[in-house]
Amino acid sequence: MTPDDFDRLQTLMASRAGFRLTRDRMKLAEHRLGPVARREGFETVDAMLASLWAKPVASLGWAVIEALLNPETWFRRDRDSFDTLARELLPALGKARGDRPVRIWSAGCSTGQEAWSLAIAAQEAHVAVEIVATDLSQRALEKGRSGAYTGFEIQRGLKAETMLRWFDQAEDAWIAKAELRAVVHFARANLADAPTDDHRFDVIFCRHLLGDADPARRRDMFDNLERRLVDDGCLFLGPDETPDGDSIAFRAVAGRKGLFVKSAAALRRAA
Amino acid sequence: MTPRTCLIVDDSRIIRKVARRIVEGLGFEVDEAADGSEALVFCAGVIPEVILLDWSMPVMDGMTFLRRLRALPGGLAPKVLFCTIETRAERIAEALLAGADDYVMKPFDGEILTSKFAEVGAV
Repeated sequence: MTPDDFDRLQTLMASRAGFRLTRDRMKLAEHRLGPVARREGFETVDAMLASLWAKPVASLGWAVIEALLNPETWFRRDRDSFDTLARELLPALGKARGDRPVRIWSAGCSTGQEAWSLAIAAQEAHVAVEIVATDLSQRALEKGRSGAYTGFEIQRGLKAETMLRWFDQAEDAWIAKAELRAVVHFARANLADAPTDDHRFDVIFCRHLLGDADPARRRDMFDNLERRLVDDGCLFLGPDETPDGDSIAFRAVAGRKGLFVKSAAALRRAA
Repeated sequence: MTPRTCLIVDDSRIIRKVARRIVEGLGFEVDEAADGSEALVFCAGVIPEVILLDWSMPVMDGMTFLRRLRALPGGLAPKVLFCTIETRAERIAEALLAGADDYVMKPFDGEILTSKFAEVGAV
């Protein structure tokens, strides 16, 4: 991969996915693109990129983009956020919403561990929920939708007791039970795109994603999240992430790392 | 502050070495035993806060050790995490029923072990 190839990849990632591909990820990018090149029938990564620059085929472009996103995730990542949700927010929201299920969005769900963790938290709190899990990567979504995880994946973050309660063992995989599947829906969505409908959520989990976003797009992404959140809803970012400097739409909840609600400014704008 | 203590019970020296490195990284002082019987002798002297326990071992297996440990004075206190190549759901359920706090399927890595320690409240 030449420096010129990498420059073009950076532009591709920023313009299509709003993703900031930092220069220190050049080696990683080359490594990740190897399997894509083989799958797409190219001899080398260089050959694939040369073809992509010469004739930008959308499907190849997206296969490249998907491979360069950050797929890192695990069950109950940042456990405190799930405990806050299960013990404090869900019981209150469940009561407030009455007959309709609490709507949760796992935004940038990667391979689905976050969405299933949310479903488990809700089922264990006996609160009816509808979870929509979205990601830019079709391959990650397919994995999430399958609900099937290796022994290695399933036990990263889950206690054995929880694993046995909510997953069935099949050959070498652990598969999410029907009770979980009934409340999680996977779909492709690009956080860089503005919402085109008025579906809104009570709770949004969007963690460890905006830190990788192209700084020029971060404000729009926060705005898009704000438009998708009901006025009395909650946004979870990673425990060390903050919208400060990018957006005034949210304010931090004291004592709850990574938890945000709409700011007065956002509420005034809506009114 | 006195460091927290963990006993690693496994008949494989390599597994003990790998696990020790991870657990020490979590700030624990680590001791080792090569089978259940050695571990039981150790626990009769001082009971560690966490025990990482293999199932199949010569002399005394992990399940026998666990039952005897829980009958010792103070034997209910340690968090016991089975750590074995046995991955069948029935066997995992059996281990939890016998009083294990959690269960790690081999192979494992630092991230898995760290998350397991966090889930049982050991870190």
